[in-house]
Amino acid sequence: MFRFLEYLLIAGYIAVLLVISHWIGQQAYSWMPLQATAEAKKVDDLFSFLVSIGAFILLGLVGMMLYSVLFFRASKEDYSEGHPSRGDVRLEILWTATPTLLVLWIAFQSFNIYQQLNILGLGQIVHLHLPLESHSVALASLGASPANAAIVSDVPKPASETIDVFAKQWEWSFRYPNNLTSNELHLKVNRNIRLNLHAQDVIHGFYVPEFRLKQDIIPKRDIDIVLTPTRTGKYKLKDSQFSGTYFALMEADVYVESVEAYNQWLTQTASEPTAIKNQAVAENIQVAKTLFKSGWYTVAPDQPAVANERKVSNDT
Amino acid sequence: MEHRPIHLDESPIRFEEWRRRLPNWLQRFLPSGGGSHEDHHGKGMFGFTVFLLSESIIFLSFIFTYVVLRLNTTNWLPPGISGPELSTLVIINTVVLLSSSFVIQPAENALKRNQLSKFRWLWLITIAMGIYFLIGLLIEWKNLDFKLTTGLVGSTFYLLTGFHGLHVLAGVVLQIIMLIRSFIPGNYNQTHFGTSATTLFWHFVDVVWVFLFSLLYLWRA
Amino acid sequence: MTHEFSEAIAEDREPLDNWRQYFRFSTDHKVIGVQYMVMTFIFFLIGGLLAMIIRAELLTPESNLVDRPLYNGLFTMHGTIMIFLWIIPFNAGLSNYLVPLMIGARDMAFPLLNAISFWILPPAGILLISSFLLPNGTAQAGWWSYPPVSLQFPPGQLINGEFIWIVSLILIGISSIMGAVNFVTTIFWMRSPGMTFFRMPVFVWSVFSAQLLQLINLPALTGALILLLFDLAFGTQFFKPEEGGDPIIYQHLFWFYSHPAVYIMALPAFGIIAEILPAFSRNPLFGYRSVAIASLGIAVVSIFVWVHHMFTSATPGWMRMTFMFTSMLVSIPTGVKAFAWTATIWKSKLHLETPMLFAMGAAAMFIFGGVTGVMLAATPFDIHVNNTYFVVGHFHYIVFNTITMAIFAAIYFWFPKITGRMYAEGWGKLHFWLTFIPANITFFSMHPLGLQGMLRRVSSYDPRYQGWNVIASLAAFLLGVSTLPFIANIVGSWLYGPRAVDNPWHATGLEWTTSSPPPRDNFAEIPIVTRPPYDYGDPKYSVIKNSNNGE
Repeated sequence: MFRFLEYLLIAGYIAVLLVISHWIGQQAYSWMPLQATAEAKKVDDLFSFLVSIGAFILLGLVGMMLYSVLFFRASKEDYSEGHPSRGDVRLEILWTATPTLLVLWIAFQSFNIYQQLNILGLGQIVHLHLPLESHSVALASLGASPANAAIVSDVPKPASETIDVFAKQWEWSFRYPNNLTSNELHLKVNRNIRLNLHAQDVIHGFYVPEFRLKQDIIPKRDIDIVLTPTRTGKYKLKDSQFSGTYFALMEADVYVESVEAYNQWLTQTASEPTAIKNQAVAENIQVAKTLFKSGWYTVAPDQPAVANERKVSNDT
Repeated sequence: MEHRPIHLDESPIRFEEWRRRLPNWLQRFLPSGGGSHEDHHGKGMFGFTVFLLSESIIFLSFIFTYVVLRLNTTNWLPPGISGPELSTLVIINTVVLLSSSFVIQPAENALKRNQLSKFRWLWLITIAMGIYFLIGLLIEWKNLDFKLTTGLVGSTFYLLTGFHGLHVLAGVVLQIIMLIRSFIPGNYNQTHFGTSATTLFWHFVDVVWVFLFSLLYLWRA
Repeated sequence: MTHEFSEAIAEDREPLDNWRQYFRFSTDHKVIGVQYMVMTFIFFLIGGLLAMIIRAELLTPESNLVDRPLYNGLFTMHGTIMIFLWIIPFNAGLSNYLVPLMIGARDMAFPLLNAISFWILPPAGILLISSFLLPNGTAQAGWWSYPPVSLQFPPGQLINGEFIWIVSLILIGISSIMGAVNFVTTIFWMRSPGMTFFRMPVFVWSVFSAQLLQLINLPALTGALILLLFDLAFGTQFFKPEEGGDPIIYQHLFWFYSHPAVYIMALPAFGIIAEILPAFSRNPLFGYRSVAIASLGIAVVSIFVWVHHMFTSATPGWMRMTFMFTSMLVSIPTGVKAFAWTATIWKSKLHLETPMLFAMGAAAMFIFGGVTGVMLAATPFDIHVNNTYFVVGHFHYIVFNTITMAIFAAIYFWFPKITGRMYAEGWGKLHFWLTFIPANITFFSMHPLGLQGMLRRVSSYDPRYQGWNVIASLAAFLLGVSTLPFIANIVGSWLYGPRAVDNPWHATGLEWTTSSPPPRDNFAEIPIVTRPPYDYGDPKYSVIKNSNNGE
């Protein structure tokens, strides 16, 4: 089929592509935000792997198309046949089998990394679950009957602490283990933390880009996410699932800090109640400053709560 | 138009050979490569069957919703509500609807043998049975202790039975139209597509009812 | 003198005079096809206008052009119009025109049903657009319309934007299901003698696969919409969490259709590329049988991938992994197609006229869109970029850079056949470059934005995202302008262009054996097929043209 020279050229082409795609894969790390959790590094490794393979395929095929456009042009009057070949069974088997193997490899890598990410999904969709029970009771019942443990395949990794996250239109609030409520999320660096996610009205989404983790929050469901922040700093929590008029304003500050700084903040703010600055409410109150105003209906955002209270009761 | 025999089949699965081995009534739904002039039924019934497959997916999506909601809810019936009742009314209604399939089929067969009078009588009885079912459904609805807005049981029950009832109504209307057209001289000389499709639709409506009946009435809370 | 595509005989330049037929109720599939294509192009322009406003708002980080409810309505309507009133029905129109011709039939299986399918659309589309005039505006929950947020309308008002959105979509769905029944029956029953399945052009295979998907999956969306309508207007509780309902059920039903929907949009585009590439490279399509089977393969696999739109939703781990695997699998038959295209133009005799430029551009950009698609199938990565601009960039690479470009390719390729006139080649090439370059700039820019965490559906954003946003917006404005030479070319050529010959491209395929435009009954005699498709070696097609050779 091919002469030796042609095989050599193909091999050379593939070698060059491998080098270039590997290099592009290495660049991919710089396209991502900072890595702020243990999980982030794994996701970035996966991304780099995917980019390398993608670049290889893209450059390979587009390169061939470019070559064709440059070197296989016919003269304007020549409508004769290019070549009579209608196909090549061996080649077609090769280009079906190779992508299959490639895809299996990618799937395997992704599966591995997913297992390492501690994202807790819900039980099976047909599993009888108790929507109104609190999370701790549900966990206890899991432990009590080992048979049930097999049904729920996402077993949470034990976390040192739990913070309750409350999402509503259009504000985040957080309740710490000592019952302090705040609209800032403070996390201890290098300690894993369970975030218990609650949505009051519509579906919201918990997302911090630097954490590489995202989880939709469904009203009336128990949803957890477990993560380990590894880099101190200030980040932004955003609502990732479209939740209505002021969806773009639903943000909160996230502080990853040392244990001492965390404890200091906790005790300090417990004694200083402050009003929460709610961007949605602020914008809703004032007249819109946009060029075109529709005057269409919007759900009214709740008045901002008083933050940093130590709440005695357990409700939101 | 040409009536050529089938040409060389280049298909890797040799579709034509498989098709010829099927029973005759199934072959009708699978055409040969090139279209045979003799089966004037062919494309009409094929198209209608394909449409019914699509319709069943809509029902499936409603049933999926009902089943998932029901499996995931601890207190399916709100307090004080007894839900859909397997009453005598419902049982008789079901018997009437399901046996009407065994009336419409002989009617269709009679038409194929050109026995117009027999066709019309059996067809009329089918229409009456369909209307009986619809009236029974409305009476049942009126006597229930929950409404459309009464919790999930209300939402799912009325949606499923209502959507099905709409199809029964459509079937009855089609049957009435076919009956009227049977009085046009020579209407059924060439094609029975109208009645064949209506008959198939009626069987479809009955099969759906078997599923709904089991899921709504036999599945006790 | 370069070779002529047409015979520019002076007395044949009379202006178009049979335009009235396109405004009447006709059961001729060729008229219906044109009606679909022109109507949907108008919706394309409307949807594009909405996109221009969106991109204008996104030039600056603050929300300063339109207020937030209006912005939410804009992106909702943009998505809905582009999917349900541009791509899907345009494909239906093109398929309507071409499929009977390609299989040697005189019309579709059910011509009256065909006409009804079309005529549902203009009222449904006008109904949808009219929701802009409602006091509380259009639907504003995105083209997905997820409950509970899509159910948040002022109490007491039955007819609101969401209600109209749902009703309009149900009507469009009914039209599509009717069309699907028609296409599948036509392809099964109306092929001319000798036109076995494995002699059909790949475009017909693509339409067949796409319409099978419509039949199986669209009813799930119809069901979801009916349930949503009942929740919205009649007090039921299917998707209301506080009443015990489950919004995730809606997501499953919605995506069970809407993922195959992207293949319903993409498969005909792949088919178009598979028709044009052989004609302009003078090679048979490489691996025709694999490509034909791959079309069906894509359709079958795509039924089982929908949960990859729900990787961050309330889905358990085993479900995410299963669908990650199936979603990656669909890249295999798709890859077979892409390799086949590349092999077709290898060692060929390329002619780079406008249809070929668009088809090759679409094929090349599809590789990029497909690669990012496989990346998105990897759940851990998707969790980071789900609901960000990475996804927006990915799918626009598919729906615009691949599918819409393929649609332009198809319009230029079959324009002489449909209208009997030839378009102006220079303007076509200008249109191509004016589209290809900005399309890449706009939608490529969205990928880094998504990686950096910029969310979709926002009218205001963190100032550090502004750079890429400005680039994307400016290129988008250029893209908007690029439609102008296209409209001028098509309208002008249709009205006053030179007459086209039967087969200006020396292409294989039964549609090129009849006149341009075809007579009412398509063929003088029903053709009998004895040769495989893409027979570019046949002396009838393999010509060296000199300047006065007409065909």
